[in-house]
Amino acid sequence: MTMQALAQVLASGLLTGLIYALVAVGLSLIFGLMDVVNFAHGEFLMLAMYATFGLVLVSGLDPVLLMPAVAALLFILGGTAYLGVVRFAMRAKANQGMVQIFATFGLAILLQGAAQYLFTPDYRSLKTSWLGGHTLDLAGVYLPWPQVFGALVSLAAFGGLYLLMTRTDFGRALEATREDQGAVALVGIDRNRVFALGWGLGAALVGLAGAVLAVFYYIHPGVGGAFALIAYVTVALGGFGSVFGALVAGVVVGLVEAVTAVILPPALKSVGVYALYLLVVLIRPQGLFGRL
Amino acid sequence: MLRRREVLAGGALALAGLGSRRADAAGEVVVGVLYALSGPSAQNGLDARRAFETALEVINGNYDLDLSAAKGDGLEGLGGAKMRLVVADHQGDPQKGRAEAERLITQDKVAAIVGCYQSSVSATVSAVCERYGVPFVCADSSSPSLTRRGLKYIFRPAANDEMFSEAMFDFMDAQRKQGKTIGSIALFYEDTIYGIDSSNTQRKLAGERGYKITADVKYKTNSPSLTAEVQALKNADADVLLPTCYTNDAILLTKTMGELGYKPKAMIAQAAGFSEKATFDAVGAQLQGLISRASFSLDLAAKRPSIGVINEMFRKRADRDLNDNTSRQFTALLVLADALNRAGSTDGSRLRAALAATDIPGTRTIMPWKKVIFDAGGQNPDATPVLIQYLGTKFVTVFPEDVAVAPAKWPMNA
Repeated sequence: MTMQALAQVLASGLLTGLIYALVAVGLSLIFGLMDVVNFAHGEFLMLAMYATFGLVLVSGLDPVLLMPAVAALLFILGGTAYLGVVRFAMRAKANQGMVQIFATFGLAILLQGAAQYLFTPDYRSLKTSWLGGHTLDLAGVYLPWPQVFGALVSLAAFGGLYLLMTRTDFGRALEATREDQGAVALVGIDRNRVFALGWGLGAALVGLAGAVLAVFYYIHPGVGGAFALIAYVTVALGGFGSVFGALVAGVVVGLVEAVTAVILPPALKSVGVYALYLLVVLIRPQGLFGRL
Repeated sequence: MLRRREVLAGGALALAGLGSRRADAAGEVVVGVLYALSGPSAQNGLDARRAFETALEVINGNYDLDLSAAKGDGLEGLGGAKMRLVVADHQGDPQKGRAEAERLITQDKVAAIVGCYQSSVSATVSAVCERYGVPFVCADSSSPSLTRRGLKYIFRPAANDEMFSEAMFDFMDAQRKQGKTIGSIALFYEDTIYGIDSSNTQRKLAGERGYKITADVKYKTNSPSLTAEVQALKNADADVLLPTCYTNDAILLTKTMGELGYKPKAMIAQAAGFSEKATFDAVGAQLQGLISRASFSLDLAAKRPSIGVINEMFRKRADRDLNDNTSRQFTALLVLADALNRAGSTDGSRLRAALAATDIPGTRTIMPWKKVIFDAGGQNPDATPVLIQYLGTKFVTVFPEDVAVAPAKWPMNA
């Protein structure tokens, strides 16, 4: 293997990894906030991709310009999912964890079915966009612009999230709520409101990921599945609830996948990722950046 | 309460199970249609359903077309009984396919099952049909191994991937004879029975006919990324890339090749994803000159008017032309209707015998085949494959010479 080919593998792995991180961070945020795993996360991603597709069709604007609108729509979807479903699941007196799992799982099946009914299972694809089909050629290493842009959006989103969580009242309320749900009520923080906003924020982040992916990936009611699986292992690897663990883990997953595909037959490329995860479980079961 | 209801429902099912398969009083023959109606291949299932509905219209109505089972209302051999389809969803999962086949046979009392697109699902469904003695007409799964398991109740009117791959290599041999250089090939295939059987055949043929395989890439189907896989293809830069993929992977492969700046010199595809409208809608510009194997050639409509008529009927339902998959599905149901007419019965063993005795000249189908007959394994050896090339916005038949309407543009990216 030439140096150039190796550089290509690593560069592709890094770009893919940053996009995986952006897909996963919303999941991690919601988990960190309230210990709920959102099994409809992949379907949120799918809806964000359809939202991008639909908005492009209706407005004729470039998907890059529509990203804030998609994020806003997903914010509403996330908040509604919390207020309409998860809030009730959390009232279960027994087996609360299982009720939450099945509630979000049911939501996933419902959203997927609704998407197939409304949008048909035909594969959609954005044909023209500023970034689509353009590639940056760095001395023979090809960096597709949509992925480069996606990686930049991912880094910007993590940067923004960092500022939000450290510099704003809302961020401090989020942090306080995840530390101690009971105590925040005493200082006048409405737990439900924080949770709804947290879900909205988590969904908005996966909305950004969907808008980025829609530029270079096919759009289909079942598209969320493959990415959701990666998102779960990314969150577990980074440490449940650790937002910045998701960033590091996303990159690690992208790189490990790319390198495994070179060493082993490509059909086994996810084996490397799960082998690494099992290794992390043996050494640090809470994940790389997870709290005990 | 719930318990009692379950017991009642169970009892009702058991009673229903006692009835025998036959055309009922209303003169109806029930046929099971088993496809993925959800999941990644749902669109194939929906298109298949429209192809079968088109065939059903031809069978049940009286059409003056030179096709088997078109003339006369209903199934003439069964006193004009109408055919009814029961459509079931296997989601692309072999185990769900097995369960649905059982249900169609025991509860819906189907006389035969038609399916299933994914070879992996046809494998389990045909095994269930064998156990119950119900014929399985394999419309569009192409793995050669399906008709080599000693099953008595499987019938495949269309070609298998061995026949398709032979046509590809015959074509490449012909190009070599014309002085074109084809030294190396690259295999790229998905990791279920469809891709694996296809690659086994292609590997064998490459060895026999002196083509060097410079990349042999098996990939995981429905992967979120194919970057590493395409990188391997790009490094090998073979003279011909032979992909075996379903629709989603066909789109992702083509997009990823574009992103990594890889333009294969030529591509000859094992159809499936590379015959679907969605693929060409998404990435058609990059696939100019792609050659795909096919069972069907819309060009032939110029010589055989029935093809144009059926295509219009299908297009009204599905808003797209007949393609490699939907033409095979349409034909499969007509082949079954022909056998039902000759059997004069829906009894499994009599229908099987009639299917085994099938002999329909190719000119009485919409396919470019010599004829429809079945060998001992249930394969039609005379389902002559063709190669079609994507030029402009449509496919043109380029091989074999006797049905070609234009010479192939070769290589596609000179």
